[in-house]
Amino acid sequence: MSVTPNSTAFMAQAMHADNPHRETFHRFFECWISEQNTYLEELVSAADNHNRDENDDAVLCPLIERVVRHYEQYYQAKSNWEKRDAISMFSPAWRSKLEDAFLWIGGWRPTLAIHLLYSKSGIQMEAKIGDLIRGLTTGDLGDLEPNQINRIDELQKKTIYEERMLSEKFAKQQESVADRSMVELSNAVSEMIRNEDGSDEGENEEKVESTLDSKKDGFEELLHMADDLRLETLKAVIEILRPIQAVHYLIAAAELHLRLHDWGKEREAHVAENVTGAPSGLDVS
Amino acid sequence: MAGMCCGVVGETETPSTVEPSGGRQARRRRVDIHQLKFLASDVVAPLPGSGRKRRKVESLEMIGNNVDAKALTTPLECEKVVQPCHMKLKEEGHLGSSSETETVLNPCKLLSETVGETVRDEESSRFGITTVCGRRRDMEDAVAVKPSFSSDLHFYGVYDGHGCSHVAMKCKDRMHEIVKEEVENSGESLEWKETMAKSFSQMDKEVTEWSEGASSSNCRCELQTPQCDAVGSTAVVAVVTPNEIVVSNCGDSRAVLCRNGVAIPLSSDHKPDRPDELTRIEEAGGRVIYWDGARVLGVLAMSRAIGDNYLKPYVIPEPEVTVTERTAEDECLILASDGLWDVVSNEVACSVARMCLNSQKPPSPLRSPGNEVNVAGGEYSDKACSDASILLTKLALARRSSDNVSVVVVDLRKNL
Repeated sequence: MSVTPNSTAFMAQAMHADNPHRETFHRFFECWISEQNTYLEELVSAADNHNRDENDDAVLCPLIERVVRHYEQYYQAKSNWEKRDAISMFSPAWRSKLEDAFLWIGGWRPTLAIHLLYSKSGIQMEAKIGDLIRGLTTGDLGDLEPNQINRIDELQKKTIYEERMLSEKFAKQQESVADRSMVELSNAVSEMIRNEDGSDEGENEEKVESTLDSKKDGFEELLHMADDLRLETLKAVIEILRPIQAVHYLIAAAELHLRLHDWGKEREAHVAENVTGAPSGLDVS
Repeated sequence: MAGMCCGVVGETETPSTVEPSGGRQARRRRVDIHQLKFLASDVVAPLPGSGRKRRKVESLEMIGNNVDAKALTTPLECEKVVQPCHMKLKEEGHLGSSSETETVLNPCKLLSETVGETVRDEESSRFGITTVCGRRRDMEDAVAVKPSFSSDLHFYGVYDGHGCSHVAMKCKDRMHEIVKEEVENSGESLEWKETMAKSFSQMDKEVTEWSEGASSSNCRCELQTPQCDAVGSTAVVAVVTPNEIVVSNCGDSRAVLCRNGVAIPLSSDHKPDRPDELTRIEEAGGRVIYWDGARVLGVLAMSRAIGDNYLKPYVIPEPEVTVTERTAEDECLILASDGLWDVVSNEVACSVARMCLNSQKPPSPLRSPGNEVNVAGGEYSDKACSDASILLTKLALARRSSDNVSVVVVDLRKNL
């Protein structure tokens, strides 16, 4: 990892360089995702070496902290790019179309953090249901304790509530595309084109810019709020879990993220192949 | 020792709050000793059917430890016959000496206040509750547990709302009060079926009246229908008396009794395609349409419910009531919303709960301190109920239940 430039360096460089923003965030993302892969390996090895009879929190906690910090860095970088170009963050070129389909306000749905937990916990629980019934602990997400389930449930309700609030705001923001100022402006510019009257061109251009700017600001704010909720929810889940459980959870999170990305890319490669590689042998490219 | 456990020996009214957390096993031993003594002296030992009686048993027996048993031959509570003593002996293998009993006594009572709020109330209703939103985006389940809600009766209710949560919430707040009123009004001539039918009808009436006047509420459903008519709730209510289990049900939540390892459903789901329900609906002029399952008028996937005004008289709030004699083989009662029953069979639920209740947890070094209820190695029961309810909930979630999950597990074992 020390050989490849890390995501932090990328971020620092990007903030000062004149690179096209999307391109740079794309590179940051690729870099970040390869780091995530490295962290995943570390997490898996920590889980494999975990001895249930020994308290290894001292080993696990720093690792968890580092992984969480890695997520924080991602959102810090994302936030910086959102300030520069919020609109393009809604159609991220660095993600596959498959991932796109699952996005909510430019990222994963915050409640996914809880669904992920329930899924992983369910899998680990069913694997050791016999032990659990006998009252043994499984030392993973299979034996979430009553107070943990309680807190997760509370967190879920809170997250759903906040997600809904943001969805509502997002709806308002999207509806504003047809607000009075936009309709007025689109009409004015259309009239201008129809009449081939360039007299108001400068004035209209200014109006278009300022109107669209205000829309962009709305989107940017929403992105910030959505990202905050994502990170906050992730951290809240980690906070509820015991260290070894958090390790298992972070493994599940990284695996899902990385594999979904891969699958999306593979799918796109496949689709591209089908389009370019003509079935009849004709070269359409 | 007796003083620690039960306040002042010889008091007619036993103290109402503190029960030693080392209680169950200690009590089991004490009761065993006690029963032996009584049997030896040819006296019928009292059955601790209700908590009040149980505590009297304790105080009796404690007195018995100090005083000659003959001095208290026929107390008022002795009218019931206990299960034979040899059963307990077989189970225990040995009897604890009184000094052993002393060592597990612990005057402080630990309650684990969690989801699974595990509570041992003074009338010794032992239960665990778990209720979670699960995979759904709305929480429409509600649970009410009211130990000793009317003298020695315990009340357990699970309500699974649809349309919005307010009918279920109303049931949670009011049903036990209504039942209490009805029970206390009927006095000696208590007829459970009638009492429960009246209670459900009253509950439905209150919900209807409330929603008519509830313009100021901030329910989500207001956006959809101004009168909240499309909102309702299932209700499965168990009233546990010292001798009986009375289950009243409306809708597709369910109560299952676990008796000697066998799952016995005490309620029958009200699905629109249940033959008798289908007939009833059609005779009332309604129709059952298959639209994502059988639905009344193609809308509601259950044939009885509290609320749902616009589906009356096809959907009715009339409960089906079962009255079941309690036996010595009863282990536990499980009440749950369809979030559990959709993915876990009665039999599996029963065996999971049963195993939890029977499991004796070895002390685990991994458990964080403070979470452990059974420090003294004596108190398992309430934690066991909570463990059972949480495990069933987790199993439902693991099996991809797509609904809210609410589970109540009630320990019905006597003479523990």
